[in-house]
Amino acid sequence: MNRKVIGKIVAGLTLITAAAWTTVSCSKKSNIASIELFSTKGENVATLQKLADKFTAEKNGSIKITIISPQDASTVLRSRLTKNDIPDMMAIGGDSTYTELASAGVLENLSNEPFIADIQENYLQMLYDVNKDTSKTAYAVPYAANGSGVLYNKTLFRKAGISIPKTWDDFTADFDKLQKAGIKPVELTFMDAWTCLPPWNSMAPVLQPKNFTDDRRAGKTTFAATHREILEKYLVILGKASGDYMGTSYNDGNKNFAEGKAAMMINGNWAIPEFTKVNPDIDVDMFAFPSTNNPAENTVTSGIDVAFAVSAASPNKKAAEEFLAFLVKPENAQFYVDEQFAFPTVKGAAQNNKTVNGVKDDIAAGKVSNFPDHYYPSGFDLASILSQFALNYKNGMDNETNITQTLAACDKQYDAVNVQ
Amino acid sequence: MKNTYTSKVHPVYWIMILPMVVLFFLFHTTPFLQGIFYSFTDWKGYGIWKVVGLRNYLQVFKDPSIQSSYLFTFKFALTATILVNVLSLLLACALNSKIYFKNFLRAVYFIPYILGTLIISYVFRFIFSNIIPDIGRALDIQALKVNILGTEHAWLGILIVTVWQSCAFNTLIYLSGLQSINPDIYEAAAIDGAEGLYRFAKITFPAIAPFFTINLVLCVRNFLMAFDQIMGLTSGGPGISTTTISVLLYKRGFQGGQFAYQSANAVMLFVIVMIISLVQLKLGENKEKKYE
Repeated sequence: MNRKVIGKIVAGLTLITAAAWTTVSCSKKSNIASIELFSTKGENVATLQKLADKFTAEKNGSIKITIISPQDASTVLRSRLTKNDIPDMMAIGGDSTYTELASAGVLENLSNEPFIADIQENYLQMLYDVNKDTSKTAYAVPYAANGSGVLYNKTLFRKAGISIPKTWDDFTADFDKLQKAGIKPVELTFMDAWTCLPPWNSMAPVLQPKNFTDDRRAGKTTFAATHREILEKYLVILGKASGDYMGTSYNDGNKNFAEGKAAMMINGNWAIPEFTKVNPDIDVDMFAFPSTNNPAENTVTSGIDVAFAVSAASPNKKAAEEFLAFLVKPENAQFYVDEQFAFPTVKGAAQNNKTVNGVKDDIAAGKVSNFPDHYYPSGFDLASILSQFALNYKNGMDNETNITQTLAACDKQYDAVNVQ
Repeated sequence: MKNTYTSKVHPVYWIMILPMVVLFFLFHTTPFLQGIFYSFTDWKGYGIWKVVGLRNYLQVFKDPSIQSSYLFTFKFALTATILVNVLSLLLACALNSKIYFKNFLRAVYFIPYILGTLIISYVFRFIFSNIIPDIGRALDIQALKVNILGTEHAWLGILIVTVWQSCAFNTLIYLSGLQSINPDIYEAAAIDGAEGLYRFAKITFPAIAPFFTINLVLCVRNFLMAFDQIMGLTSGGPGISTTTISVLLYKRGFQGGQFAYQSANAVMLFVIVMIISLVQLKLGENKEKKYE
């Protein structure tokens, strides 16, 4: 009898599992007259749709564009590639997703298209830098950039009597002044581990040696030998941050900041629409993270947020390239930048919103560095390492031990994933 | 039932089982075999690849984050299995006794099983980060003031949610076991003077031993592959302190483009889970035989 009972339970569970498997649906095939545009950024679908409608109208409906952007889009895109079901067009970030797609040979080489000349050189260079062989081949067209630095509440800054800090010393002094004025200086949201990255991403390009990326890849240098100062400065910020930052999520932090409960957030322009959702009247601006005491060296961290790529295997390549040429026209790029609150990479477009006044000129003048984590091998989970670093600090670990341990972890994990 | 193996099987059985076999093979066995094959390559999940032999497997043993995720997974699975089984057995005994609102209470305790794990996790994430710290501040209890998911004790938060949800199904299985016991046996026991814990140890528990075995096997398997609740609560953080093997597989395999490498990891996990399950079933079988 016992065996029968077990048998029945096992059989039942097997059936349920099998039923679940069979309901996994297959993906649909795109039809000949239409282009499927896959965006890894859910936020830009509405804007792209408007541009697509305009394009379809211009073409008298001969080209139809379907835009999709599922949850966790990079993962979905990767798994679609496993099935060789590649979208005709993709809007992706200039990060490891691009590197992988380009090196896997599924993207069309767009280097000889005329519209490449309309793109700002420093962003094209950023794209070349993340090509696996760093060759000057454009497998995508950089379209929009983001900016990361320090977001600050102007009203609270005025209240504490401080202005934008230009140097590291001013920056740390401002923390104390804010504290003295009874204002929480910074809202850190480390419950979402990725928010541990922005301070690192701002400091690393300025403070690390010039050839770090290449040397590290070749094993000629280590994080331990070069990144100590970054973590020392990181600890200074952690020391001046108050509250339960390890248990605060990005969404809660945005809400607190928008409600004026903290003066600064170390994050990017993408967070600003989140603030205005909660408090439309917030007087927010952004400044470059002052990593050093030399204002000329400090940069805004800016990377390619959206780049358009065309599938090399798509039967509608020509139509997709036509759409690309349409998108790159200055008036359309301007439309995108305005709606999406992004920084333009297309010549002739500009971001004029007052909430990013503090970094606008730096970005337009090319005083930018790319996100250093775009150069790390995929699978190198720096966010987790830094979250552990912050947790160690919170638990009262000795600073020296913490820094040594964290840098050792960086090197160890980098080596573990550099093989692939 | 004699001569089962020599007698001709009625074709209706074949008709019943065949679609299942085909579906199972297509949607379960084939991807599984593919996964094993790709674990010997450097496939990123798409594009060009080549066979690299055992390189992935050797790398798995050297990878510190894989080692720590195995340690965490075992710690988590062991604690959760013990807690879930002890609590569900207690619950089942209570719900099987003569109490008021028995059916209503049974329904209440089953509700967590009906809810999706991700939904539960998001609700608990909110409770841990917003409600409990408020309570802590109101009562001035230092330990409750911080969000537990942001501390080195984050795994306890996950454990609470997991145990709360898993108890439902395990209680159900224990309940069905308890109900299958013939009341006559209890009567006989009462005449012989067996009461309370003694009766539980000598009669109730042996009678439901097969249910205990299946519960243990299911629990260990489920908890070794814990995924949903962790993605919902901490995404494996802070640091990688709550990263189970499944979470690591997903993060690095799909998001990190290490499909082949993590396939090797998955094959290892499969082998480990299989060995543990077989050992458990074997031990359970022996125990059951003893009581039969």
